[in-house]
Amino acid sequence: MKTAGKSGNVAAGVAVCAAFCLPLFGGSSLAQESARPPSEPDEAGSGQPMIRRLTESQYRATVADIFGPDIPIVGRFERGLRADGLLAVGTGQAGISSFSFEQYDASAQGIASAVVSEAHRGQLVPCRPHSESSFDAACAKQFVQHYGQALFRRPLTGEETERYVRTARAAQQRMGNFYEGLRFALAGMMDAPDFLVRIEMAVPDPQHPGRLQLDSYSKAARLSFFLTNSTPDAELLRAAGAGELNTDEGLARQADRLIASSRFEGAVSAFFQDMLEFDTFDELAKDPVIYPTFNSTVAHDAKEQTLRTIVDLLVTQRGDYRDLFTTRNTYLTRALGTIYRLPVATRNGWESAQYPASSDRAGILSNVSFLALHSHPGRSSSTLRGKSIRQVILCQQVPDPPNNVDFSVVQDSSNTAMPTARIRLEAHRTSPACAGCHRLMDPLGLTLENFDGVGAFRASENGAPIDASGTLDGHEFEGAPGLGQAIHDNAQTPRCLVDRMYRSAAGRSILPAERPYVDYLNQVFQADGYRVPDLMRAIALSRSFYLVSAPERGETKSPQRAQVQTRNGGHS
Amino acid sequence: MRVTFVMRFLGTATILGGIALYAPGGSALAAEVPSGFVVSHIAYALSKDAKETGACPNGMTLGNTQIVEASAEGQRHEGESDADYARRIQTAASALGTAPNGDNLCMHPESGAPDPHYRSVTGLNIPVDGIDLDGQDSRANGRPAPNTCPHDDFRGMNGERGIDNQFFRVVGCSNSFQSTGQSNTYEIEMYTGAWGILITLKGVHDLHNQKDVEVGIYANADPIELSPTREALANATYAVDQDPRFQATTHGRITNGVLTTDPVDVRFHVITNSIRLERPLQDARLRMTFTKEGGLEGIMAGYTPVEDMYNYQFGYRDGKDGTGKPANQRLIFGSANGAARVLGHTCNGVYYALKQFADGHRDPKTGQCNSISTQYRIKAIPAFVVNTPTQSVNSPLDKQ
Repeated sequence: MKTAGKSGNVAAGVAVCAAFCLPLFGGSSLAQESARPPSEPDEAGSGQPMIRRLTESQYRATVADIFGPDIPIVGRFERGLRADGLLAVGTGQAGISSFSFEQYDASAQGIASAVVSEAHRGQLVPCRPHSESSFDAACAKQFVQHYGQALFRRPLTGEETERYVRTARAAQQRMGNFYEGLRFALAGMMDAPDFLVRIEMAVPDPQHPGRLQLDSYSKAARLSFFLTNSTPDAELLRAAGAGELNTDEGLARQADRLIASSRFEGAVSAFFQDMLEFDTFDELAKDPVIYPTFNSTVAHDAKEQTLRTIVDLLVTQRGDYRDLFTTRNTYLTRALGTIYRLPVATRNGWESAQYPASSDRAGILSNVSFLALHSHPGRSSSTLRGKSIRQVILCQQVPDPPNNVDFSVVQDSSNTAMPTARIRLEAHRTSPACAGCHRLMDPLGLTLENFDGVGAFRASENGAPIDASGTLDGHEFEGAPGLGQAIHDNAQTPRCLVDRMYRSAAGRSILPAERPYVDYLNQVFQADGYRVPDLMRAIALSRSFYLVSAPERGETKSPQRAQVQTRNGGHS
Repeated sequence: MRVTFVMRFLGTATILGGIALYAPGGSALAAEVPSGFVVSHIAYALSKDAKETGACPNGMTLGNTQIVEASAEGQRHEGESDADYARRIQTAASALGTAPNGDNLCMHPESGAPDPHYRSVTGLNIPVDGIDLDGQDSRANGRPAPNTCPHDDFRGMNGERGIDNQFFRVVGCSNSFQSTGQSNTYEIEMYTGAWGILITLKGVHDLHNQKDVEVGIYANADPIELSPTREALANATYAVDQDPRFQATTHGRITNGVLTTDPVDVRFHVITNSIRLERPLQDARLRMTFTKEGGLEGIMAGYTPVEDMYNYQFGYRDGKDGTGKPANQRLIFGSANGAARVLGHTCNGVYYALKQFADGHRDPKTGQCNSISTQYRIKAIPAFVVNTPTQSVNSPLDKQ
């Protein structure tokens, strides 16, 4: 249903968007795209070396990769800091609280105990001591060097090796058992900032005198966490040690190996978990009386459903990123089938499925994960859904509401005089203070009103039929499939993905001087048919990804500066 | 309202019932109408409490302990301690529960005699829930319907005649079958996921009047899905039991919005105290109406073989364990005798009452009826019903 009045609102919305929707990136140069293969700009700017705390998923993946998946992690993880829309950016800004360090230590002690336990030592301790009751320095050194390199993502210095061997010796003398000594040495390494934090080191760039680039091991770490969301494996560390990552061929060989590995899916999944703010699932709650189908199993499966869809389309099928917003292919469990009202034959586990063409669902924005996450505990929210689409999918900023907003009309979802969210929001928008932002958010969010606060379909609200028409930048459409197609066709959609992908990889916001480089990535993404693995490969192989700049004068006490100095004057 | 259902396939699973989204050929339906259902509520269809209806003018059924307590020997001796008195009562009650040949009467009720303290419903004008199974009012012409035994029908809750519900006659004077009793709350077992019942409809075009509908009645192989407040959830998927003994299909019709089906033998699971039993219902039929929420509500009625009724409801004698072998005999013994003591009946009393009031499947040689009319009031909500093997997430542990 389209009306003249709505068209008027659309025009106003576009006008307001021009004033308030702040793209988080520039990008006018895309208009100059040509059929010529894009080439990386030479003079791209670069950020400083980063110090980034491991995320929970990276910590867990690292422990599993180094010690095996059956080694338990007992500590709890502090909630990540979301900065510039991404936890990945927050990892470069967050500190470690005393509580968090206690938890890291608890995990370290538990992991170390398991590694040297009688059940695992035969497999995980690389040597046998002459006697368990006496100290075997050679075996301890071998153990420390073996796990030290894996944990610190670089070889240990002689001083570091000696320090942890000393720890093992002292513990063995106190505890009377060689493996107890190894346990303390390993726990010490896992408590060290060199493990908990990715510390990047810079060295002069031989091809560009006067400029800096990451050293080989920092390159390896950046490459590995970007492409596998885990620590560099032995082969990557070997290549780093051999200097192979400083050649285009060597770098490409390693990048292609990692992209071809099963761990690549984990990286793609971790990126989209971050981008889609799935960490907030941990605190998602619904009123059980209003939404009896929602429980913790549904919450878990809803998140996993979207991630499986993403990985399947982008990695397995090597599909177009934009198709995520239109695809009817999905995965279901029995718990989800109850909300989607679809049969799921498999009692325990997942099965592939399709949203029926007449089901009003298409794309991940019509998944329970998006619909439930961006709703209130007892009602849907066109505003939250619209805001999230603007901010998360299109990288546009929507200003926060003023502090004197009267929400009473919007929040009364049982008001039979205003039975639908559209009617209530129209009343709410009579306040000029609210109108500006709501005209950005509501025309998108209202197209999802056919789905309640947990994402179950509904044709009416309070007995009144739901009008799911909406607009995006002047394009009118109907319902979730129309919204998905509009997002698919919007030029901002892939640009936003590129922007977020690079910020996630670099762990910081994009610098103005890097704009040419990001434009280059956009061209690559477009030229490659919007295939995410190709975009990630282009980032991984680009020179700019590893270039760093020295801190400005006056920042000599910053961690970045300190590390540049340490590396340059130390063991680089 | 005209509706169409479609058979869809998911891998190797056939969907027997669900929410029809498409008509064959792809044209969209005017409305979503369920064709699969899971039973969400089930209880024996009985009557109001005896205290209200006057169904038990001779009092209520007693258990062995109550019989002893009511007797002269069960009176408390002067100076007798609580412990001594309780011990004496239990000893005497145990003796009452033992046949002259030494058999435990819950395990071998046929070794005993009918219990004179057992009370059954004797009134005729008591309104009872249920439907007419044998097609006639037994009091109309004084001759039983073919293949049945002489019995007194009840009148229905709305005054209709010919209600065959002899099971109510057996248990209607038992305290545990009154509204506050424990015996008719066994759907709690269903909510634990122990067992369930599925219904499918096929070929429905008109919910108000349709001459022929194919109806499936199955044991549910999957645990029922519940909300955080322990209510059954609509639109969940369930697999039918793969054992053909637990699958039944029949035909029925919809008349003025009421679905009635032709008789068919059905069989469901029962689990009590981890003892696995079976709940058969011979010549079972449905009489149900469609609810505005898209579910079904009404009566499932038929004839339960007397021995089976005694076993799954009172004696647990043929129970199996999780591997299909006979269940632990001590567990069966304790469960049957414990139930009799707690619920207030004697095993021989209920056993002979079941035989006395049996009204179905008359043996032409002996003239005895071997089954008793049994009625259940059930509610069912929309569900997807699939025909595929299914298993618990813990099933691999069975192989370890």
